[in-house]
Amino acid sequence: MKSQSSQRSHSNQRRASPSLSTWVQIHRKTALQSWQRLLKTPASSFATVFVIAVGLLLPALLYGVSANLSSVLDNLNGTAQISLFMDNGSTASELRRLSEDLLSDHAISSVALISSEQALEEFSAATGLSDLSQQLSDNPLPATLVVTPVNADPESVATLAARLEGTSHVELVRVDSQWIQRLAAASQLVAVSGQILTIVVVLGLFFIVGNTIRLAIENRRDEITVVKLVGGTDAFAARPFLYSGMYYGLGGGMLATVLQFAIFIGFNSALQDLLQLYESNFHLQGFGFTSSAALVLGGGAIGWLGAVLASFRQIAAISP
Amino acid sequence: MIKFDNVSKRYTGGHEALSAISFEIGTGEMAFITGRSGAGKSSLLKLILAMERASTGALFVDGVNINRLSRRQIAQHRRKIGAVFQDHQLLFDRCVFDNVALPLEICGYWPQDARRRVRAALDKVDLLRKERLYPEMLSGGEQQRVGIARAVVNRPSIILADEPTGNLDPDLSADVMNVFQQFRDVGVSLLVASHDISLISNLDCRTITLEAGKITEDYRGGGG
Repeated sequence: MKSQSSQRSHSNQRRASPSLSTWVQIHRKTALQSWQRLLKTPASSFATVFVIAVGLLLPALLYGVSANLSSVLDNLNGTAQISLFMDNGSTASELRRLSEDLLSDHAISSVALISSEQALEEFSAATGLSDLSQQLSDNPLPATLVVTPVNADPESVATLAARLEGTSHVELVRVDSQWIQRLAAASQLVAVSGQILTIVVVLGLFFIVGNTIRLAIENRRDEITVVKLVGGTDAFAARPFLYSGMYYGLGGGMLATVLQFAIFIGFNSALQDLLQLYESNFHLQGFGFTSSAALVLGGGAIGWLGAVLASFRQIAAISP
Repeated sequence: MIKFDNVSKRYTGGHEALSAISFEIGTGEMAFITGRSGAGKSSLLKLILAMERASTGALFVDGVNINRLSRRQIAQHRRKIGAVFQDHQLLFDRCVFDNVALPLEICGYWPQDARRRVRAALDKVDLLRKERLYPEMLSGGEQQRVGIARAVVNRPSIILADEPTGNLDPDLSADVMNVFQQFRDVGVSLLVASHDISLISNLDCRTITLEAGKITEDYRGGGG
């Protein structure tokens, strides 16, 4: 046992008021301890990480599908066309005059004229019913003006189509991009489902992380009691658990990224085979660095926040 | 430093552990609280640590009314007190060194500074060679001394000890008392609950005797 002089010898030395480097050192130590604690129970830690990864993967995949659909739509939107079916009474000169009128319209970039004869020829060639067309005394097909609008977005195409509706000799106006609009609506649906699923999944992950953390706190109740008895605040007692929650979330985010990448590779090779048949040069997208980073950081944030929500009330309830 | 003013503690269920207790411990004063088990010794210490709240009366520590502290203030209040618990209250997944370092960690000490202080405290209780061991590898007496080292490591202005020599042989008990007296000599107030009559009479300190929650004797002592 030491004498009194040595007992007080350091009493006037620096007692670190919360300076930044002390704060960093203390946090680093807590972070390391929490990490080591997770590694002590690898199976259950991995189970939590895996559940979080699957949860994050579902909305991530939906977002991927939705992003790819909209890039497909962007490509297709440039190809919107409006077909004007003329009545049978319109003559060739009238058709020419009308197409010139249309060309002067600033909303229209080009006009192609398909006469009723051309239409019949195409029809015969396409269907192989050339005999039938020869037997007809009258050509039943109308002449058509195919209008390509300047603005290809669905709204301006629809406006233009409505305006062309009233043109003389035009019997029927049909927008050829209706299936694109349907695809756009479907894509919108996917995007909205993605958003709803995200909300549900985030709530679910809060519960999963919260439950895991609650269990950990219950297992270490004695330790929290001791920490509080020697003057630890609730925040101090909660800190290791917040790190655990963040690790779970980050781990889940990383695993989700890996799984997403594996699915992408598997799906992409099948897709490229299919696309080759259509001679398309479409490439899957939405699985780049940004989305991976968002997945990992988002997972970490969810884990941390879930731990915050779970731990504070429970730690406050332990009051020796 | 510590002032009980007509303090009573009644637990739910009606049991009155302390009734109308009044006494005062000055700065640099060392006092024993003695009495049979169940006399209210532990309740009294718990009140000072704000582990329990007084049912009536006022309890002042360093001029602050303990009954009025918020959660956060309670944490701050406990940092001024070094407490030795009867059941040691050690962390079994941390080594001796880390157990003793806990109060310093909580107060945000510079780690190098903390290391020096922990070593000094462990040296005082003669456990420096066991700093890397875990509490479960230690005997009851050694665990008790780890608890004492943790209580003094932060250089508190008050030390509370609940049967600190309960697991120690007479030599070690005397050593612990020696450490306590060193702290008293530099102005620390100590309140030690004990029923080790021979130890108490040897020291001839102030001794407050409790019986069924009441003070029956307040011996002022010659040595303390």
